[in-house]
Amino acid sequence: MRRLMSGLPVALLWLSLNAFAADELPVAAEEFVYCTVCHGVQLMGNQIIKAPRLSGMEPWYVEKQLHNFKKEIRGLHGDDAFGYEMQPMAAALTDEQIGEVAVFVNATRSRPATPTIGGDAEKGKALYTTCAACHGSNGEGNEALGSPDLRIANDWYLVTQLNNFRSGSRGSHPADINGMQMRASVQLLNDDEAIRDVVSYITTLRNQ
Amino acid sequence: MHRVRNLSWATGTKPPDIKNRPLPFMTEKNLTRRHFLNLVGAAGGTSAIYNTSLALGLMQETGPVATLDLKQAGRQRKKVAVLGAGIAGLTVAYELERAGYDVTIIEASHRIGGRNMTVRHGDIIDEMGHKQVCNFDDDPELYFNCGPARIPGHHRRVMHYCKELNVPLQIKANFSRPAYRHDPDKFDGKPVTVARYVADSRGFLSELLYKAVDQNAFDEPLSPEDVDRIRAYVRGFGALNRDGRYTGSERGGRKSGGFITPAKTFEPLDIESLLDSQFWTGFGAFTSENPDWGEPLMEIKGGNDGIIHAFAREISKPIILNAPVQAIDLKDDSVNVVYNHKGKREQISADFVFNSIPTHFMPGIPNNLPEDYQAGLAALTPGNFFKIGLQMRERFWEKEGIYGGITSTNQPINQIWYPSHGIHSQKGVVLSAYAFFAQCEFFEKMTPAERISFAAECGEKVHPGYTDYIEAGVSVPWGRMNHMMGCGTSWSSGLPWEDGNSQLREQYYSLLQQPAGGRHFMIGDQISYHSSWQEGAFGSAEFALLELDRRVRAESGEARKG
Ligand SMILES: Cc1cc2nc3c(=O)[nH]c(=O)nc-3n(C[C@H](O)[C@H](O)[C@H](O)COP(=O)(O)OP(=O)(O)OC[C@H]3O[C@@H](n4cnc5c(N)ncnc54)[C@H](O)[C@@H]3O)c2cc1C
Ligand code: HEC
Ligand code: HEC
Repeated sequence: MRRLMSGLPVALLWLSLNAFAADELPVAAEEFVYCTVCHGVQLMGNQIIKAPRLSGMEPWYVEKQLHNFKKEIRGLHGDDAFGYEMQPMAAALTDEQIGEVAVFVNATRSRPATPTIGGDAEKGKALYTTCAACHGSNGEGNEALGSPDLRIANDWYLVTQLNNFRSGSRGSHPADINGMQMRASVQLLNDDEAIRDVVSYITTLRNQ
Repeated sequence: MHRVRNLSWATGTKPPDIKNRPLPFMTEKNLTRRHFLNLVGAAGGTSAIYNTSLALGLMQETGPVATLDLKQAGRQRKKVAVLGAGIAGLTVAYELERAGYDVTIIEASHRIGGRNMTVRHGDIIDEMGHKQVCNFDDDPELYFNCGPARIPGHHRRVMHYCKELNVPLQIKANFSRPAYRHDPDKFDGKPVTVARYVADSRGFLSELLYKAVDQNAFDEPLSPEDVDRIRAYVRGFGALNRDGRYTGSERGGRKSGGFITPAKTFEPLDIESLLDSQFWTGFGAFTSENPDWGEPLMEIKGGNDGIIHAFAREISKPIILNAPVQAIDLKDDSVNVVYNHKGKREQISADFVFNSIPTHFMPGIPNNLPEDYQAGLAALTPGNFFKIGLQMRERFWEKEGIYGGITSTNQPINQIWYPSHGIHSQKGVVLSAYAFFAQCEFFEKMTPAERISFAAECGEKVHPGYTDYIEAGVSVPWGRMNHMMGCGTSWSSGLPWEDGNSQLREQYYSLLQQPAGGRHFMIGDQISYHSSWQEGAFGSAEFALLELDRRVRAESGEARKG
């Protein structure tokens, strides 16, 4: 990848410096710059920091998660190794700021995350049928059911979350209704391999 | 004091103990001549401290300061973008401006200096999620060095720039015999002076050796002359009496008297408790045996950011603050850097870029650097440090005969540092916690107020009444600092001493030292063998400047001398 632009589909033109210069992408307000320090420019994700890609994430889901972190429903479980990185960041936001930052998150754009985990997407496809009931057949999510779009975050992050649901470090707080629903559904995935496979399948939904 | 929130998770989980690694001599069964020498070294702390010196990335001397003698840029005035205004970025900018380049510094933070950070009254501590404002009194002597605090004279580049820029230095005490070594589980949890720990442990070891030398305990028998010589050495080393016995010594401090009345020495401490408390670990009794912590150390008068301000005075082009870099586009004939500033996206096209952005941010910044170069950047793992500084209404430690230096404790705060400056003035700022690597998480999980109450509780066990002296305080978790998120990179686990000759360093280090596409130079202590020391940052800047000069001269058919 020598040139930023070479070989990229037109839809991804944003990455070219012209797109940057043309102000097509949102600039974080001063008070939200630190979100981009962990989550990367345009919230593209940063695996070293374990902060997932958030670009374009649905505002309702962003708000809900930020409230969950703030209310200590998510991120403070002793085994949630990375949730604790995020928790104080949300705790510092007012309710009003949560609304504002969700709009910013939704406006950000970056290329779809590159796959990193190497599971078997074919096997994953079969496993995904149960997930589709809530997350949609294309992984697009369903606000009415509180289930997020799964095509946004990085594969390594989805794996972490499925493990968190499985171990109960996410989705076991009594106030976490949606988390508990997801926690019940994750029990269908028996082992690490099943988790990798289903996430690999989800990755293939990104480019559709 | 502040109420401590639910700390059950904090108090229940002991921070991972990175210090208590067995020393080589502890695992050996047979005593050989070499082991004997190791033992002597251990008693003096050299091998024990060698471990901890590796812990801070100490590897080798960095060598003499190069004469830069950069070729003047001339009429073309090549353009340079420097990303990040820490030690490395400022050094490059200062040198290249003097050589006639047009240098623009782009800095993400509201301040320059990076990890070189001293806080005073009113300064912002930009911790993500817990922004703090320094609440010390408005007094130039009441400051806290949140980052660099110690400068040894053999860090030639630090010395060179301090001298060249007229930055005044003073001696800083690191080791102090009247300061304490404290173990909550030993000696009734009471602090014991460093002097007693050192004197008694050397005494015991020496006595042991004194007996062992003529008992054929070695792989080769020692000649009678050897025995005599070793015994003479050991007697002096451990302050043994004529019979080779250790019965206590004035080296451990006097219990009373010694001036008008006869001196009374302390009884030797109980050897088992002494050994149990693992006084040689961590940054305790033998701190000064580490070459980078060896006395005498220095600090900059008025705060260690003096060097930063000196650079800023010299650099003429305004530094662009609050300007996080958003993208780096490396082209054949230039480099484009996109950054945000005042709510707008800006870009600058430069002939050369010197990038000191912490490597762990690079995977989150769109760029088209070569793939292996990007892989090298992503291979570095950030380390972590944590400090608390408390303003004390009275210099109570001076009443205990302590003037500067460090107390070490087996509590999570690890250390208490007494200021070397402002002796006998009314107030002082005391370093009240210093945690390393995985230990930092313990404090990061607390709010700033909780950290201070926790440090107060720990300090109370060393200095009864400590809490009442606290007037103000700041905490600085480097892993949580905006635009920084760590200190001390390594090529493996995040623990620099495990990175020695790691395969990843071998694979990537020299690649990252070379400019990508001939234009993008990676700099900072992260590109050195001395990460988490300013000398490493200066050294990386010097290396990159020499490399640039070589290339610039080659372009015009010249060779660089040296
Ligand atoms: C607690 C602690 C104790 C220390 N003790 C000592 C000591 O006693 N003696 C000693 O010599 N050294 C010590 N050090 C190490 C010393 O601070 C560092 O080695 C040195 O300051 C590193 O300088 P640097 O220029 O390499 O990097 P940094 O100072 O990290 O500079 C990097 C700069 O890049 C900026 N940046 C980040 N992201 C972006 C972006 N997207 N766009 C633009 N800019 C960006 C940052 O804001 C920062 O200013 C200590 C450090 C710490 C944290
Ligand atoms: C200190 C680093 C850091 C900062 C700063 C930070 N985050 Fe995060 N964030 C994380 C990490 C790490 C996770 C993943 C937690 C996990 O694995 O459960 C995360 C998770 C999230 C999630 C959950 C995503 C999901 O799919 O459920 C949201 C939403 C989020 N962050 C938004 C933000 C916003 C908005 C900001 C700025 C106000 C911000 N973050 C600042 C590190 C950070
Ligand atoms: C009963 C409905 C339901 C089913 C079935 C379901 N999910 Fe979920 N899932 C949810 C809800 C609701 C959430 C949001 C939880 C929250 O609010 O914290 C969620 C969250 C997630 C997340 C976390 C996303 C993030 O950004 O943090 C992942 C990953 C996920 N689901 C994957 C799956 C997979 C894989 C399956 C199939 C094995 C599945 N889900 C089945 C309802 C469901």
